[in-house]
Parts: sequence; structure tokens; C-alpha cells
Amino acid sequence: MPQAIPRREELVARLLVATLLAIALQAVTRAAAAEEPIVLPAVAADASEAVVRGAYLVRAGGCVACHTDPKRKDMPFAGGRALKTAFGTFYTPNLTPDPVHGIGDWSDADLLHALHDGRSPGGGYYYPAFPYPSYSGLSERDVADIRAYLLSLPPVPRADRAHELSFPFGFRPLLALWQWLHFEPVRFETDAGRSPDWNRGAYLVRYLGHCGECHSPRNVLGAIDQDKALSGTFDGPGGKKVPNITPQKDHGIGRWSALDITYFLKTGFLPDGDVAGGAMAEVISESTGHLTDGDRAAIATYLLSLAPREGP
Amino acid sequence: MRCKTMLGAVILLLGFSMPAAAVDEPENVIAYRQSVMKAINGHAGAIVAVVKGQVSFVDHVAAHARGINAMSKLIPGLFPKGTDNLEDSDTRALPDIWQDWPRFEIAAKDLEVESAKLVEVAEGGGDVAAIGAQLQMVGEACGSCHKPFRAEKN
Repeated sequence: MPQAIPRREELVARLLVATLLAIALQAVTRAAAAEEPIVLPAVAADASEAVVRGAYLVRAGGCVACHTDPKRKDMPFAGGRALKTAFGTFYTPNLTPDPVHGIGDWSDADLLHALHDGRSPGGGYYYPAFPYPSYSGLSERDVADIRAYLLSLPPVPRADRAHELSFPFGFRPLLALWQWLHFEPVRFETDAGRSPDWNRGAYLVRYLGHCGECHSPRNVLGAIDQDKALSGTFDGPGGKKVPNITPQKDHGIGRWSALDITYFLKTGFLPDGDVAGGAMAEVISESTGHLTDGDRAAIATYLLSLAPREGP
Repeated sequence: MRCKTMLGAVILLLGFSMPAAAVDEPENVIAYRQSVMKAINGHAGAIVAVVKGQVSFVDHVAAHARGINAMSKLIPGLFPKGTDNLEDSDTRALPDIWQDWPRFEIAAKDLEVESAKLVEVAEGGGDVAAIGAQLQMVGEACGSCHKPFRAEKN
């Protein structure tokens, strides 16, 4: 048996294996990177109080998870994440202070109008995939601080991608009708009969944290059924089941203690020792895991005070 | 002759009664895998109760951590091909596991490394705060697999 041929073959084979390995390794590194949490630029040591508050509020609002392309985690808030829904695919917009592609030339009033009323600076209507029906309850000071923080970020000149929606949802004027049918701006009002802790929790759950956007059933036009708010749904984002977070004993969190809730929101550990996956794992790593213990306790206080509702 | 026939019948019967075909059938592997995962889950739940201060068994943590560490080494072997959730099977294991096997192995290895550190912290007489901090790393390792590779509950 001639030696030369197998040797050459062996060489080629080795080269091939080495190349494949290199490619595989690259793929692995990239895949691992896709699972990493988004790293936000550090807030400057001399930042104003508004920027510092805004950075925290943006965490509590979970803004970065949707407004960042999972493949471009090096460009937080630059938008481009695809949100697949029954109405088509939405692509989230750029929130960095780029004057052309971002919100660099927006005023406080512009951001307030967007978050409170679901309207763009040009007067257009936003799709409720942007959870403005929840953000509508944000305080003016919080919105101003959120803007101060966003303006402190490095601008990213990334153009927004147009939504790809199925007929007739691509026809934006329909959104005026949708708002007329389903949207009423809300303002948070402190309930004097409840503790400050409860009021803070209500603000975080209902408005800033917008928990009900995923944890509530929606009607055929995508509006939240407020009578069943937070009772979970079989048809959440991506068609997946989202659990009931009212204190219902069998399906909800009726058997959870306040500590069970705060520990879960901090670490992802459920009371039985299982660890959350899916969308909630992302909420924990990008939002609730960064909150103060006090805010997590407030969320628990509020949720446990709710009337138990039936739901998945 | 009759003796031989009897013997043959006995051998045949034995052959039929042996559950050879059922060994490592996908549904059996899935059920076994879930038992192992529940073991990890159980140990983690026990440590969580200690960290939350609901029970005072701090001196048990090392044993639970060793349990998690021992089970973590079995994980890659529990996922032979054909045990995903595509068929009408009772599992939440997504096919992505086999499409991205190296990443799956990295995630499993991560649990092995982090649970070994938890053993060290607990054996070194770490307090509840130190145990809690390392338990969080263990939880992140669990999540690094559950996020991409486990379907949500139906």
C-alpha cells in the first residue's frame, strides 16, 4: 500500500478538521454571546441626579431588552429587535440620541406624548406592541429623567427597520380607531388608604414594569382585557402560555410568600428550586434583577394584595 | 426430546418476557432524565430555603451542592438524539439542543463548575450570604440552559 496518498489525504483531512473546528468554535463563541445579558454603558460618576434616576427607571421599565437587537448587544437601545406577533413582525426603534435615527431632537414633551398618549412627535399613532397603554401612567418627572438618561448615551446612527405587518394592520390610520376603542390615558394616583410600599408596587407593576402586557389576556384586536389583568394567558408573546400572577391558590401565586416573589425576581429561582427560562429569565436578567430590594418587596406587596383571579 | 422442547419453550418465554426492546427507549430516557433534573431541582430548592432563611440547615448545603455537582456531570449523557419535544413526547427539551450541541455542553459544564464552587463555599464554612451569592451563579448556569433549550410550560 503506497504511503504518500494516505498521508496527503490525512493532511487534507486534518486541515479540514482544523478549519471546521475553527468555524465551530466561532459559532460557539457567538452563540454564547447571544445568551449574555446586555451590558449597559456605565453611568458617569459626575452624572446629574436625573441621569442616575433615569438609568434606574429604564432598568425597571425593561426598555433595553426590546430596544436592542439580540445580535447586536454591543449597541444597546439602538433598536432592531424583531417582535413576532399575530399581526406581523414589529422592529423596535432606535432610542439613542442620534438626531436622525434616534430621539436626539425630541423634547421632554415629545417623549411624554409618546409614553402617555402613544403618539409620535409628528402626530402619528404607535402600535400597542409598544406598551404605552401601561407607560401612560408614568409620572412626568420619571419620563423627564428617562429622557435625561437616554440623551446621555452614545448616539448610534442606526436606521429603524420598517414593520412587516399583514393586511390590513400595516395601515396606520386604523390605529386612531384602535385608540378610540381601547385606549384611555391613565394617571397614577396615590391611594392614601394604602401603604407607600403598596403604592410604589402598584406603580411598578401596572405602569413602569408593565407586567400586565405579557401576563394578561388580550382581545382579537390586541387590547388587554383589564377585567382579567395579570391572570395570565394561553396566548402570550410568541403564542406561549404566560402564568397567572394574581394570588390564586392553584394556578397563580397564592401559595407564594413575599420572600418567594422577591427572591424569584432577583435570582430566577422559583420557590421549589426550579430556575426560570424563557421570556421571564430575560426580564429578570435585564430588569428585575437590577432593582433595589425595596422595589422588589413593593412589587410583592402589591401582587399579594390583588384579588385572586382564575386563569392559566 | 420432550425435555428439549420444554427447555426451548422456557428459553423462548424468557426471551419474550425480557424487556430488551424497552431499554433506553426515548420515553424511558425522557422519564429518567426528568428524575435526574428533579433531583437537581430538589437540592436547589433545599438550598434556596436555607438562603431565604426559611430553615436553618446551613450545614446541609455542602451535601446538596455535591448532589447538584454529581448530577451536572450526567447531563450531556441524558440527551441522546431523538429525545426532543418534536414527537408526541412528554418533554420540554427543544431540538435546538442537538442543532447547537457544543453550546449545550458548555452550558452543562457551566453548572458543573459553578456547583463545584458552591461545594467549596459551603465546605469552607461560608455564611448564608456567601452561599446565596454562589447559589445565584448556579442559578444563572441553570438559566443558561433553560433559556435557549427548554420550552415553556404548557
